[in-house]
Amino acid sequence: MSLRVTQRSISANTTANLQHSLSQMQRLQEQLSSGRQLARPSDSPTGTVSALRLRADLRRGEQLVRNASDGLGWLGTADSALTQSLDVIGRVRELALRGRNGSMGPDDRAAIATEVDALREHLLGIANTTYLGRPLFAGTAAATVAYDAAGVYQGDAGAVDRTVLDGVSVTVNVTGPAAFGPAGADVFTVLVDIADHLRNDPTQLGTDVAALDQRSLDLKTELAQVGARYHQVEAMRSRTEGARLDAQNALAEVESVDLPRTITELKMQEVAYQAALSATARVIQPSLLDFLR
Amino acid sequence: MGTFDGLNIGLSALYAQRRAIEVAGQNIANVNTEGYSRQRSEMVAESGPVVPALFSRYEGTGLGVRSVEVERMRDQFLEARAHREHGADAYLGQVQVTMDRIELAYAEPSDTGLASQLADFWAGWDDVGLSPTDPAARSQLLERATTLTSTFQQLDQALADLGAASVEQLTAAIQEVNAIAGRIADLNGNIRSATAAGLNANDLIDQRDLLAMQLAEHVGATVRPGEGGSLDVYVGGMALVRSTSVEQLTVEVGAGPAFAARVAWVDDGLTATVGGRAQGLLETNNDIVPAQRAELLAVAQRVHDDVNAIHVTGFDQSGAAGVPFFQMGPTGITVNPLVAGDPTRIAASSSPGAIDGSVAQQLAAQDGPDGLYREMVVRLGVAAQTTNRRVEVQDAIVQQLDAARESEAGVNIDEEMTNLVSFQHAYSAAARFVTVVDDLLETLIGMV
Repeated sequence: MSLRVTQRSISANTTANLQHSLSQMQRLQEQLSSGRQLARPSDSPTGTVSALRLRADLRRGEQLVRNASDGLGWLGTADSALTQSLDVIGRVRELALRGRNGSMGPDDRAAIATEVDALREHLLGIANTTYLGRPLFAGTAAATVAYDAAGVYQGDAGAVDRTVLDGVSVTVNVTGPAAFGPAGADVFTVLVDIADHLRNDPTQLGTDVAALDQRSLDLKTELAQVGARYHQVEAMRSRTEGARLDAQNALAEVESVDLPRTITELKMQEVAYQAALSATARVIQPSLLDFLR
Repeated sequence: MGTFDGLNIGLSALYAQRRAIEVAGQNIANVNTEGYSRQRSEMVAESGPVVPALFSRYEGTGLGVRSVEVERMRDQFLEARAHREHGADAYLGQVQVTMDRIELAYAEPSDTGLASQLADFWAGWDDVGLSPTDPAARSQLLERATTLTSTFQQLDQALADLGAASVEQLTAAIQEVNAIAGRIADLNGNIRSATAAGLNANDLIDQRDLLAMQLAEHVGATVRPGEGGSLDVYVGGMALVRSTSVEQLTVEVGAGPAFAARVAWVDDGLTATVGGRAQGLLETNNDIVPAQRAELLAVAQRVHDDVNAIHVTGFDQSGAAGVPFFQMGPTGITVNPLVAGDPTRIAASSSPGAIDGSVAQQLAAQDGPDGLYREMVVRLGVAAQTTNRRVEVQDAIVQQLDAARESEAGVNIDEEMTNLVSFQHAYSAAARFVTVVDDLLETLIGMV
């Protein structure tokens, strides 16, 4: 026996179908207006876990880029400070060589010594360069300067590291002794010696110039390392930025609504809904009553 | 055969057809009444005496028609099945509502959910790592840590509220169940006496069926026909209504912190095995919510453990060894007041006195709790999705079943109109028959 169909069952069925159609439309409209196809975990549990992971990656990437930028700031400042120091040392070497020349009188040498003293002050200023309020060459010590007026190192041998990729951290500082020589033989002592010998004992200047050359060589080595690390950090930053872009695209793919597809679906759903409505209007109206007498 | 028998035949036909027209009228009147079962007037031909007697032999055609009873068209097997499926549907619907609420509480994936707050928290450590002496970075980190802990607390509270609300709903539902059970028992009494007096109790039976369906949805009740046309209602195999006697149900809530609830019989205190919406509400309070809270607590505990383990290896701004950053209390995870009150107590440095952020950087790279939380959200999503699918399937089953019930018991106007027309014609014809018999009698009398 086929099912008996009654007015109530027809209206119940059509109401249920219209409801279903309407709720589909609501879902699509929700997606369109929010621009997201993932509103809650049950919409797609796997999509949700990807979205959560990608969001975490994005946030972490943002932070890694900030770390790298900070590291670049440290390294860039160190680079220019070291370059300036090399210039100063070159000038001192010139002066020392000139003072060694036998044609110089004591007064001339005293004048040169005064200039060397001034250059030493200048070099001390460079060695006390700060980055964001911290002395660049003082390691991790909580000191206000890296070298005091007497040229004594105030910092420590601590390394300032920046995490630029997960698991990769780069040392972004140069400690005073590494750049300017070990205590007692550092460039400031050499400069004091040069000024002293210019005034009192020019014969010692040959040894001083040799010591100065050694400091200059160390500085150049350090400068090369700083340059290399600068490039390393920069490469890692651009890698992180690339990865962030990829993650952003992936997140959009998982989370954002596919506009053309959703709009098409919505249109189709609208058509289906209208068809259902007009069919309902036709089905519910007539009964035998309309045809009796 | 008697002379006036013809008139009686006509009269019986007039009565029977009029009765049938009235039944059709009643059907049409109730075409939109919920729970109404269509009725049909059953007619039988009245035969003459069939037992031959010695001096009397009946030679007539019969004695007309008799309307025996008004039959109610409803399939009791379909009804029993409908009770089961409606109960299962109500149960799943309730679980779906619960899952939906929980998903809404977590609000994932989004820029505001717990996952983003965790990410913000870790990023805060990185900022402290970049500039360990910057008080702004330290205060910002504390701010984010406090936001994180209060989110943990809010989520836990939202879950606890969900459990409490479901117990309240359950209590209300059980009260309603008791009231309905009382009305069914009353109806049982009315129907029994009406049936005993030979009266038509169809409309009362319809009302009773409607109430039984409500019980099926509330507590997954099943019914069985009892004695004297009464309907017995069972919950978990125990009688809630037997004829005119009623048992009462009550909700008992256990002690905190679990607050496990159960539905019990007032009479003997035994646990009633309920189905339907009540089962969904019980499951919400006793299983789903506690499980979710435990998972959330595990994430908070992991944050607490991971951060503290690293934080105590560090040294704060004044060079003192790091204290635990978080603490677990009765209200869940909170920032250690020592640290919360003094940002310099954040231990970012790996050696005392140094301006170093390596411990903070180490903390920034953590994502153990995030992974745990992600797993938890996915489990929730899968559970909610499964429930949604089951609800869809169950809805379809219920819809089909209701269609079948409606097909059996529903009123079709076309059918009633057809019946009406045919009964009307039958009535006219019977009236015409009476006129003919009248004419015959007149002819007979005129002959005298």
